Amino acid sequence: MSLKVLTVDDSKTIRMIVKKAFRPYDCEVYEAENGVEGLSSVGSVKPGLIILDITMPVMNGIEMLEKLKSVPEFQDIPVIMLTAESGKENVMRIVKMGVKDYLVKPFKDVQLIEKAEKIVTLTPKAAQGAKESDGENYFKRIDDFLVLSLPENVARPVVLDIENSLVPTLTELKKKEVNKLIVDMQRVQKVNVSLIKAILFAITKCKETDVAFKMVGKPKLQEDLKGFKETSELPVFATIDEAKAAF
Amino acid sequence: MKKDLKSLDLPGFIVNAASEVFDTMLSMALETMESVPDEPADDYRYVGSVSFTGDIAGNIRFGLSGAFAALITAEMMGMEPGEIADPADVADVIGEVSNMIGGDLKSRLCDAGWNCTLSIPSVTMGNDFTIRTKNFDVRETCVFRHGEHVATVEINVKTTS
Repeated sequence: MSLKVLTVDDSKTIRMIVKKAFRPYDCEVYEAENGVEGLSSVGSVKPGLIILDITMPVMNGIEMLEKLKSVPEFQDIPVIMLTAESGKENVMRIVKMGVKDYLVKPFKDVQLIEKAEKIVTLTPKAAQGAKESDGENYFKRIDDFLVLSLPENVARPVVLDIENSLVPTLTELKKKEVNKLIVDMQRVQKVNVSLIKAILFAITKCKETDVAFKMVGKPKLQEDLKGFKETSELPVFATIDEAKAAF
Repeated sequence: MKKDLKSLDLPGFIVNAASEVFDTMLSMALETMESVPDEPADDYRYVGSVSFTGDIAGNIRFGLSGAFAALITAEMMGMEPGEIADPADVADVIGEVSNMIGGDLKSRLCDAGWNCTLSIPSVTMGNDFTIRTKNFDVRETCVFRHGEHVATVEINVKTTS
């Protein structure tokens, strides 16, 4: 059964960042804009984890937490508090409220996931098969290889999806002794900054997880990649079979 | 024990807070500038504001052009600037960035003995408006550049006790 995560924050931006952080995992993320809505959602959703902002209109996070802790049925639901204030007094106050952990804004989604993983079990979606992302399957397993197939237009959302899903996918497949990644760029029409970012991210994460890395692309793409300092020296193979043979 | 308000490095606090927010949330590097450059400004502007009340009262104001605000929103939401259709999304992001900068400043002030609470952010947007502040003990403005875009963070504070 999917983990239910409730994000309570008056900022749509933060709720969206929280949703995006949990997207690679088998989670259902529910949203509430303030403490009143949050308490109502706790009753209906019964979340397994609450990500709770402090400063909110109508009912702030501290009031919501106090009410939550006063209801026996809900008092054991783990809560991670989000706060923009890192001062000593504020941190002490949060700790005394009995929350499981807290995170000071600004934060990266990976920091939120690290905190969450200490409290609940997060199952990568990759463990269930190919990763679904906005209707697009970027990852495919072929024999002992993981193939990351990039779409025609590698825009910023594609890079964010890859950033969110690559590490869980690599980690999960490494357990099955799949430790070779081929980035297939045969469909890619244009070299842009987002594509370069995606390539560099994949290279970095492959190094960190000890996964071998090769790229595949058309001759025109190979030429265009040479125009960027970061990718000018990287070999690009013409076909997936050539890349496989080069490992 | 309160430290003398005028001895606090408020510009340093602002630079650290803004740089941290831009680096962590937006992967954007900010360059500090001496003053606002004498260049044609974008007519449409956003100003995010967060107030402090307690031993100390005041506010921080995060001001930037519509184009820079759209760029930040796009980066935060994983979109291209041209894809942002709802100005409310831009206002939400500018409010949240203001909240993060204000939250960090508030923490530094509290650690220096000046206890205060933080308001929910508000955002003003539009063409041709001026915000004037009066009766504050300390006023500092920091100017930042990211590429061709310029932003300012202003802090106004006064003691209440």
